[in-house]
Amino acid sequence: MTVPDMLRISLGNMWRMKLRASLTVAGVTIAIAAFVSMISFGAGNQQNIERQYNDLGLFTTMYVYPKDKSNGVDTIVHPKLDKQALTRFAKISGVNLVYPYDAFSIKIKFGDSIITSRAQSISSEAIQTKLYSRINTGKTFDSDSSKQIIISSEVVKQLGIAVPDSVIGKKVIAYVHVSQIDSGLAHILVDKGESLLDRIKKIHFDSLLNSRYRAKVIRSEVNSVIRRFLNGFMNAQEKLTDTLVVCGVRDVVRSGRMKIEPVIIPIATAERFRSNGFSQNPVEIFSAMSSGTFLKESDDINGFSYSQVTLDLDSHTPYQSIKDTIEHLGYKTFSFAEQFKEIQKFFFYFDIGLGIIGLIALITASLGIVNTMVMSIIERKREIGILKSLGAYERDIGILFLFESGMIGLIGTTLGIFVGWTITRIISMVAQSYMRDQGIPDMQLFALPVWLILISLAVGIGVSVLAGFYPAARASRIDPVEALRND
Amino acid sequence: MEMKSTSWLKARNLSRSYRRGSSEVRALDDVSVSVERGEYISIVGSSGSGKTTLLNLLSGLDSPTSGTVEFQGTALQLMTKRELALYRAKKVGMVFQSFNLIPQFTALQNVEIALYFNGTNAKERRRQSQAILEQLGLSDRVTHKPADLSGGEQQRVALARAIVKKPEILFADEPTGNLDYENAQQIASLINNLNKENYTIILVTHNIELAKKNSNRIIKMQYGKIAEGDGAKGEGSMQI
Repeated sequence: MTVPDMLRISLGNMWRMKLRASLTVAGVTIAIAAFVSMISFGAGNQQNIERQYNDLGLFTTMYVYPKDKSNGVDTIVHPKLDKQALTRFAKISGVNLVYPYDAFSIKIKFGDSIITSRAQSISSEAIQTKLYSRINTGKTFDSDSSKQIIISSEVVKQLGIAVPDSVIGKKVIAYVHVSQIDSGLAHILVDKGESLLDRIKKIHFDSLLNSRYRAKVIRSEVNSVIRRFLNGFMNAQEKLTDTLVVCGVRDVVRSGRMKIEPVIIPIATAERFRSNGFSQNPVEIFSAMSSGTFLKESDDINGFSYSQVTLDLDSHTPYQSIKDTIEHLGYKTFSFAEQFKEIQKFFFYFDIGLGIIGLIALITASLGIVNTMVMSIIERKREIGILKSLGAYERDIGILFLFESGMIGLIGTTLGIFVGWTITRIISMVAQSYMRDQGIPDMQLFALPVWLILISLAVGIGVSVLAGFYPAARASRIDPVEALRND
Repeated sequence: MEMKSTSWLKARNLSRSYRRGSSEVRALDDVSVSVERGEYISIVGSSGSGKTTLLNLLSGLDSPTSGTVEFQGTALQLMTKRELALYRAKKVGMVFQSFNLIPQFTALQNVEIALYFNGTNAKERRRQSQAILEQLGLSDRVTHKPADLSGGEQQRVALARAIVKKPEILFADEPTGNLDYENAQQIASLINNLNKENYTIILVTHNIELAKKNSNRIIKMQYGKIAEGDGAKGEGSMQI
């Protein structure tokens, strides 16, 4: 018996039992629709993330960090993330560009509005990478030393500007208050007329053998040094100001480890704000203390090491080899490509979880198929007898019934995919309308990739065929003499 | 028509019992029959005499409790299920009292289905089925479903289905039982013509007149045994 023969017999039987077949198909349709819509939610989210990664060039972006300072017991000295390190990274095959993450607090004044924000200095080369080049309005800056500034749409809003386009070409005043370390150090020596020597003279050196006195002196002197340093450091502030032209407005990007500050300033222009000391931002101060760069060493030519460096990679070079090379040099790395693999793994299990829920519905529907097919056997007992009398082998009968349950599965699954897709479209439209109202950028919540269609067909037809096994076995065992008896 | 002297289809000591509730019913009891190629044998007897049981065993549709059926020297009981199905698909044609057509199929499809199981391709199936329906005077009924056909037409479709695969033996179980006189005569005539075309016919009937008129040999069954006549031609067969 050929496939068209079985198709004709199957469709003929389904047509003969229209209502029952329709209800059974409806059960499969609903189950597959649930299966498709749930998994397409996972697929949609995965696609959104992948799209974002692609748009931002994250698959070719790697962060490098210095290893943590030793904990006192560990005596290993980890290499600094300084300009020499940057030069070494740039020489690694597959690295297109190396640039440091260099951020600081800044105040922006536009008209009467003053806001405090975070700024990042970027070279004109780095601003051309996918990570930074996505500008909504305007353009990126012209050179490393141009007096230009790129701000995020959030900053635009904070400055009280309704239309982002209107800010392009406008001047803003950027300024920072910096404290001088030298002033702090000077105050350790002399503060409020009292010198360090005067304090030392007050210590009873004979009594230092007494542990309680010794501990009291140490506590008192450490507290005094800190207080006097901070007096000098915080009170001797300088305001560094520059007038910059807004050249571009970009979207706010917040995504896990990714650091893109709301304000971006050309690297040479930003030097003005960075070279003369520290802002009053405690985070910045403690970060410098923690990285060991608060007081620059005399033998450090550049006097500065970075907390993070960004590498823009060649898309054809496997990130793993670059990662291994850098880690071998003694640095920590973070690869977005690697992170995406973890995300994929998460979505794989997420989809399986959703798939299992859909599968439960499908198994319930498959009981309907078993019921329909068993009823069909009872009704078609004579037909089975006829086929056997004509030479049908037991397996022919079994295959015929499996084919029929497979047909129910095929029709139900095809309709289910369509219904599931329609449901996701409707939900998506409603959600997008809500998101637009809330100012959230448009995104597809659901996706129906080809693999999902193929998996749905395989699962839908597979479960239906499995459901047909018992009826098929029962049909194939029917005694033709009994089936053809004239009663 | 040339007849072979050796037995072509042979049943030896066939018995068939059925379990009905707690008791066992012996439908056929130690029956031996020999059929030669081209013969037209009628099996007659009252209801429950074992006629249909014997027919089912000879056609390979049923298996005996004991005894053997041999076709061209091969015991059906030694065949695998697959081989037995092929025996029915290629060597045997069957016609039933209640026609046993598949209701959702047209006349043509009902005939075609007989060729599904013997490896005939779709195009050839269609051609042969149309030809046989035309031969039996049903060319204008090919697209009709059984419900739209008269009893006589349905039985002719059933006959077409039985002979379209050119079987070596045609088993007919009360083929005229559900037909009026005129249609019964027509079917009987067709079967008789088939015998003249060298088909071996084994007919089960209540109609003794029909049996006497057309068959070479009559076997009368009673209580699961052969009451008059037997398997071998010329050995105790009923005088016609």
